[in-house]
Amino acid sequence: MLQVLKSLRLTQPTRFASSLSSTATNIPSGSADVSAVDSGEPDKLYSKLEIELRGIDPAVLKSYTWFATTAAEHLGIELGKCWSPRKAHHERMTLLKSVHIYKKHRVQYEIRTHFRYMNFHKLTGSTLDTFLEYIERNLPEGVALQAAKTELQQLPAHLQQPPEQV
Amino acid sequence: MATNLVRLLESSLRSNNAGVAQRTLRVFSSQQQQSEHSVEDDEEFRVLNLRTVKQQARRRVIKKEVVPPPRTTHMPVDQDWTAVWSGPRSFHPASVPLPLRQGYTERGAAAPSKYANAELMKIPNFLHLTPPAIRQQCEAIKKFCTPWPKGLESEATWKAVFPVEVVTTDYCHSLPTIRHPEARRVTITLKLSDLKFDAHAKDKFLRLVGDRYNQETGVLTFVADRCPTRKQNYDYALYLLTACYHESFITEPWEASKSEADMEVYLFERNKAKLSAEAILNWNATGEKQAPSATYADSVEKLINEGENEYNIAKYKEEVLKMLKIAN
Repeated sequence: MLQVLKSLRLTQPTRFASSLSSTATNIPSGSADVSAVDSGEPDKLYSKLEIELRGIDPAVLKSYTWFATTAAEHLGIELGKCWSPRKAHHERMTLLKSVHIYKKHRVQYEIRTHFRYMNFHKLTGSTLDTFLEYIERNLPEGVALQAAKTELQQLPAHLQQPPEQV
Repeated sequence: MATNLVRLLESSLRSNNAGVAQRTLRVFSSQQQQSEHSVEDDEEFRVLNLRTVKQQARRRVIKKEVVPPPRTTHMPVDQDWTAVWSGPRSFHPASVPLPLRQGYTERGAAAPSKYANAELMKIPNFLHLTPPAIRQQCEAIKKFCTPWPKGLESEATWKAVFPVEVVTTDYCHSLPTIRHPEARRVTITLKLSDLKFDAHAKDKFLRLVGDRYNQETGVLTFVADRCPTRKQNYDYALYLLTACYHESFITEPWEASKSEADMEVYLFERNKAKLSAEAILNWNATGEKQAPSATYADSVEKLINEGENEYNIAKYKEEVLKMLKIAN
């Protein structure tokens, strides 16, 4: 146990805030000096990162999923289940076609929302921040992203033993 | 008299005419001089323009810019595409050396080509995220990543060290606001078996948490979303867990007054069955008192708590015969 905890005390790299913009494709490795600041606190651990994408164009979602999974592969992140429901979600509005009367004649508008899900497993805090920021920066227009992160934590010290005096 | 008058008039008219002629001559001569002047000064003679004649507007000659040939014709085959299309950008036909066609036409006709094709410009393209570009960018950011620690490969191993799971949600969308009301929600889950209890505390804890405990999976779930920020909600959920845990170890004075009618389960220790069994075992006995066996107590509890089924009755019979030392 102790060994595991010791190995967790990794150097936490500074979050790459603005060094990576989507336009700067090749950052020279020499100039970008990563100052590994040992803040003293252990890195966080995330067992799962679940990403939900929603958009109006299924082809764009598919391309984006391909991009994200490829990036995860390059970064050495374990890939989980990636799936999408077969049917889009239809939100319909039925209105009168004319301004005032003629109730038999209606017009129908609808908004179709396609969903897509991706799962990534076993990420450290710095990996998750890096990966999530990278894929969020490359999110195409008209696509919304929801990232649910499952963080692993130890039981707080005051809950490990029953209270001595109550 | 009249004839004289006529003569006078005529003479005067003649003299007048001569004067006019002389003047005109003078005017002519002066004009000639002026025209000579104008040639020298390069000035136009301004003609009195009584009727306003519309001046004809000069037609503007529209210059057409010379359109260079599309960039794709000059592109070498082994060019660095990431340098050509480095960032997100809407489709440009002259920069993309692909014979793309997109759009709807009549049956049998080819789809419209990429030039002046709105269909290709509408959809977000991924031309800046080609496989080499992704590899390049991932190599650049890989130094910020750290590997998963060794010894925590499976779920069972990390559950032993990290029993608490905290689920938070981030959102990235194109709305006028960057806030999302669901982003404040924090969910804390842990197994009930990770907390240490005695019998009273466990019972009280389960009463306190109510439906936050799932009987089937044995998982406690605390969801907090009433505070405005995520940090506050996380603190609140942990506070709730801590408060319930510590409160469950407190025994209030009124808890002792729980009568047999208030009990949820039958306990052998508190009931008449124990006294009866003791009375039978210690019939006419002096000195050390004999207590009924734990297996007998267990069979009685099961018979009453779980109901009379075949197995429980058979077990009870066996225990009774054993206690009374009757050979069957």
